[in-house]
Amino acid sequence: MTKSSEESPSRRTFMMVVIGLISAIVGVALAIPILGEVLSPLFKKRDIVWSELGKVSDLENIEPLVPKFVPVYFRVKEGWTVNTLPRQVIVVKDITGKLYFFSNQCTHLGCPLHWMPARQKFMCPCHGGMFNVLGKVVGGPPPRPLFVWVHKIENGTVLIQNKFLDNPKERGV
Amino acid sequence: MFKKIQNWFDERIELTELINEFNGERIPARGGWAYTFGSLLAFLFIIQVVTGIFLLFYYVPYFPMARNATYYIKHHVLLGNILLGIHLWGAFTMIFILLVHMSRVYFSGAYKKPRELQWVVGMVLFSVVVVLGLTGYMLIGNENSWWTINVLTNVAAHTPVIGGFLRIIVRGGTETSVITMQHIFAVHVWLLPIVVIMFIPIHIFLIRKTGEQGLPLEYKNSKLADDDINKWKHPDATVPFFPDQLYKDMIVALCVFAVVYLLAVVYGAEIGPMYRPLALNFAPEADWYFLANEELLKYFPGHGLIIFSTFLVPTIGFAILFALPFIDRGHERSPLKRPAATVLGILFLLLLVYLTLIGGEPKAPATV
Repeated sequence: MTKSSEESPSRRTFMMVVIGLISAIVGVALAIPILGEVLSPLFKKRDIVWSELGKVSDLENIEPLVPKFVPVYFRVKEGWTVNTLPRQVIVVKDITGKLYFFSNQCTHLGCPLHWMPARQKFMCPCHGGMFNVLGKVVGGPPPRPLFVWVHKIENGTVLIQNKFLDNPKERGV
Repeated sequence: MFKKIQNWFDERIELTELINEFNGERIPARGGWAYTFGSLLAFLFIIQVVTGIFLLFYYVPYFPMARNATYYIKHHVLLGNILLGIHLWGAFTMIFILLVHMSRVYFSGAYKKPRELQWVVGMVLFSVVVVLGLTGYMLIGNENSWWTINVLTNVAAHTPVIGGFLRIIVRGGTETSVITMQHIFAVHVWLLPIVVIMFIPIHIFLIRKTGEQGLPLEYKNSKLADDDINKWKHPDATVPFFPDQLYKDMIVALCVFAVVYLLAVVYGAEIGPMYRPLALNFAPEADWYFLANEELLKYFPGHGLIIFSTFLVPTIGFAILFALPFIDRGHERSPLKRPAATVLGILFLLLLVYLTLIGGEPKAPATV
């Protein structure tokens, strides 16, 4: 016959330790897979694809310092789906003829930029960020110039990747 | 017959005694109407749970379809517009009444010893309910939902050290995708409601444990000094919760429910347009209770200061609110006898209203 906890203090301590241990074991055993499930996106590689934007010859004909919004479509895996992500590429030609490929995502918190021809500026409708035609911040809260798409030119065609240059915190496109 | 059934239960589990213990709570007599906000919130929460459960009969959290499912509930499900409307206006009312409830408690000093825990648990409920509102806004699946998800996850990315990881975890990847929507869905319909369901009983249990305490006007006949903690334990007169207090609770609940129902029938829930990723003229908008915070985001420019609006100010603000009973430790309760706390509270509310009003103004291009 084992003693009850009231008869033996050491028996009581032993029971309390066992109760605590069992709770801890079950808790930890459950927490590990739950943590894995929640943190899983950190270990997934993002799906990077190249997508055609258009012919360089066409894009070089745009007016200098007048932005042209050109849609680009990325076919990527997202979770268990394969989706087409339509995104805007702002193509700008500077006075030397160099082409820039900006994202229309505000660098503050990601709202879609509007081009205001009268002011010659990109305006953010959310928190009032302003950029000039070459992507420099000229007002409002944005911390950095416009994101530039990773791009390359092959056989006279501009290819865009669903990724920004110089994007250390991996902001989504 | 009824007596027989009652006896059957009493013999076995002493049910009558249990019910009397439950219903017999003593409530201070004079401020009855001011004490209805708490149970009104519980009532509104039940409405949200019931309507929410039945909205799930038609809803899917898959991003492009979610907005169509919501649209279908509104326009093609019989009386679905009313159900959806009650869920929306009930949520708005709940957040508003929460602010009223908090203000009432603040100005009457009801968070003071021995009710510190009561306030902290209430703050947990408040935080959770605000997140429930935000996630609900995201689940509609329209254009605003999309940008709200993006903007708020970008806000989360400004958290020091873990920010970037946090954004990826919440979105389920770098992009806002079907996984993001599923996460928000799980949080909105399971995780947070469970937290609320757990914390409401704790909130109520704490009231019972700390005893009957009320507005300063309950203590007019008390001979004890204001800083004597025993004074606040003995109101001049009390009434039982059932039926005296519940009667008032139910009248208030009916009035508020009528308003919510009317708003649901007359205005319903606005669904808004489908998300157009290529739209060049769309200006995202936040819900009214988030406009103050939205406005705050405009004021801190550049690399170093953004963290003030995205992390520091909201976090410190919430931390101060959570710690309120430990900061303000005097025993004085009447708002007139503690002018500093009263004036600060009024100024804070005015600031909130001001930021909300200018945050809600149409987004005209700022002057250069």
